[in-house]
Amino acid sequence: MTTHPELETVDMMLNMGPQHPSTHGVFRMVLWIDGERIVDMEPHIGYLHRGSEKLCEGESYGQVVTLFDRLDYVSNFNNEQVFCRAVERLMDIEVPERAMYIRTILCELNRVASHLLFLGTYALDAGAMTPVLYAFRERERIQNLYEAVSGARMMHNFIRIGGIKEEVPADFVPRVRQLLGELRRGVEECDNLLTFNEVFLARTRGVGVIDSDTAVSYGLTGPCLRASGLAYDVRKDHPYEIYPNISFTVPVGEYGDCWDRYWVRVQEAYQSLNIVEQCLGQMTEGPIMPQMRRIARPPKGEVYVHGENPRGDIGVYLVSDGTDKPYRLKVRPPSYCNLTALRHMMKDAFIADAVVILGSLDIVLGEVDR
Amino acid sequence: MTEQDKPVSEPEGSAPEGAADETPQVEALASARPARRAPPHEEEAPPEVLNSRGQTTLGLLMRVADPYVLAHGGRDDIPWIETRAQSLIEVARRCRDHRDLDLKMLHCLLVVDYTEHLQAVYVLLSPVKGTRAILKVNVPADEPKVPSLTGLWRAADWYEREMHDLFGMEFEGHPNLSPLILYEGFEGYPGLKSFPFNDYNEF
Amino acid sequence: MALDNKPQDAPLFVPGSWDRPKAGKFIDAPEQGDTSTGRGNRPAANLLQRGVPGVITGKLDELAALARKNSLWTLTFGLACCAIEMMSTHMSHHDLDRFGVVTWPSPRQSDVMIVAGTVVKKMADPIRLLYEQMPDPKWVIAMGSCATNGGPYYRSYSVVMGVDHIIPVDVYIPGCPPRPEALMDGLIKLQEKIQRDAKEGPNAKPPVIAQAEVPQEGLVEPDSTDNAGEDDGTGQTS
Repeated sequence: MTTHPELETVDMMLNMGPQHPSTHGVFRMVLWIDGERIVDMEPHIGYLHRGSEKLCEGESYGQVVTLFDRLDYVSNFNNEQVFCRAVERLMDIEVPERAMYIRTILCELNRVASHLLFLGTYALDAGAMTPVLYAFRERERIQNLYEAVSGARMMHNFIRIGGIKEEVPADFVPRVRQLLGELRRGVEECDNLLTFNEVFLARTRGVGVIDSDTAVSYGLTGPCLRASGLAYDVRKDHPYEIYPNISFTVPVGEYGDCWDRYWVRVQEAYQSLNIVEQCLGQMTEGPIMPQMRRIARPPKGEVYVHGENPRGDIGVYLVSDGTDKPYRLKVRPPSYCNLTALRHMMKDAFIADAVVILGSLDIVLGEVDR
Repeated sequence: MTEQDKPVSEPEGSAPEGAADETPQVEALASARPARRAPPHEEEAPPEVLNSRGQTTLGLLMRVADPYVLAHGGRDDIPWIETRAQSLIEVARRCRDHRDLDLKMLHCLLVVDYTEHLQAVYVLLSPVKGTRAILKVNVPADEPKVPSLTGLWRAADWYEREMHDLFGMEFEGHPNLSPLILYEGFEGYPGLKSFPFNDYNEF
Repeated sequence: MALDNKPQDAPLFVPGSWDRPKAGKFIDAPEQGDTSTGRGNRPAANLLQRGVPGVITGKLDELAALARKNSLWTLTFGLACCAIEMMSTHMSHHDLDRFGVVTWPSPRQSDVMIVAGTVVKKMADPIRLLYEQMPDPKWVIAMGSCATNGGPYYRSYSVVMGVDHIIPVDVYIPGCPPRPEALMDGLIKLQEKIQRDAKEGPNAKPPVIAQAEVPQEGLVEPDSTDNAGEDDGTGQTS
């Protein structure tokens, strides 16, 4: 669609190659453009395909947790949790309540960390250099807590089958409470910088619109789907672990454009902080791991569980044959499914919008390619 | 040569004679899968039970897909039904369009390699009603052809491409089955159990 | 086969022929921690050295090295999880800007390529292309265990076991992912390497850092043609 249809123009192919500065990982977009408008677009993935699913078949269940850490490398705890839930369901293990609360606290803080990363890099994509520094400062606080709890800033390998690896440090609860206050101020600061900023609004409002029916057909989940108006959240619709005891609201957008996707994530970050506070209040003393065998050998069977990743629904289909290694382990990555809708969103967008739309999907190539 | 010649596709939990995975031979490593440690005694498998919500969904599913159901089962509130490949599109369309089932989202598509046959598993979900269901299709391994569901769900496009890359499953009617996550010129289907496990060629 | 620094007859890089420490040898810098320097690029001989070989241009080279090492522009090249830690290192808490390090999106104007993340076979060609697009002098840091030797994906069918199969690497930083402090340590080691290389000239032998005595029983026996136990620093076999 050109503005001057009588002009004979030739579509140019522009390659936004696997290495480009608005990097969300190694993702390649081939754009066919007519002037500044995108006529067609073809995504190429697979530049980070590490064969995790095949590798999982050769590792025992305890070792698979480390591979799951590295799938969506920004929200490690959520991935570990969904895998452990799958194995626990097969083995019919009941996770102790304290372990569930600690898992939830860590996962929700990870959600805040992930949304902060999204906020920072999205602002960087749109051209704002400041919010990313603030966002990463807040992330450092969260990562310091993770280091105190699990020993690692990123790949924790802390949520284990049956519970968690070890007891949290003695000052965990007061430390998290203090962290909550700091994070609220931090998220609010980034929020104030961006959300109703004129330039940001101009860049993201009305860009990359997708309606809820098309979104469902594309398999979109998570904040992208909620921004299109559909209030679907796994924590509310198919609650797991201790989410039935927690009350929180699910932010829902209106138009399904980039600004809505951004706004939904910021509101989710606030809601996560509320969830953590409630968990701290409800948490009790108790064991963190039930009596179980050291090497997990789920009986033969299949199970499908899915949980709420910061990016959407992460699903795990686990087929077990009774041995100590999975027979087939399939991950349903949210970013992979969100990415299928990219082509639809980029219809008739400008080249500059391509970066903004891609950023608003918040993909992590580690889980797209696995 | 140690007793590493356990067939790679054995899904049974029986322990092979002298299953020694502590001292593998170098040659065996290159071609055999790592040996699986079998359970010392038969575990009591808890039966796959559907709870009440799952029973309701299963009842609906069976009614909706009435003449095409070959088998059924399920766990918790996710029932599964098995159909033939020829009737897949019809069953899937009925599931999607039925007012109460409303399985509008194709949540996941995967292929499981059971050596003699491949099983395509479709996980369907309804974001509005909250129902979940699984469709299964078994196809023989030497002729893995399944009709493509790209007409029903746009998400099926990339799912099917990936499954074709990894397992060699043919999806009839798919507009473009080019390699998605493997590089052009990759030989073999790495998801299959017959693909060598430790065999990587240093680049 | 060492990379000679005469640009007109620089040999084509052949994958697999890059020397690596032999089995039984352990090149280690015990007093400096975990990162180990490998042999890699040196700046090509400059005009003065090429025009009038033999003239000692020491101080000028060292001055150039001082300037180069204090303003290393890295190519924005985050592949996987290590990219997040690399971003953290660039940001306000562990600031890399104070080292003069700025991420630059274009390979044509950057000095260092920090390969942060798993190198997949599909990505190997773009990496090679990017490396060749970078002008001399350039250096490569392999960050994380995936870039060093394949890392947790060592049995995978689609992962290159270390980026040094494709491009020569100067500094390896182990970790999964390495802490921001470890990345900074690696960068500082690279800066020391740049200074040292300039001092010793483009064709000097690489330095011998402390050799640890490794007990030989239980290890794969080296061939008789190997110069096991005798090291002249070049690591060349026969």
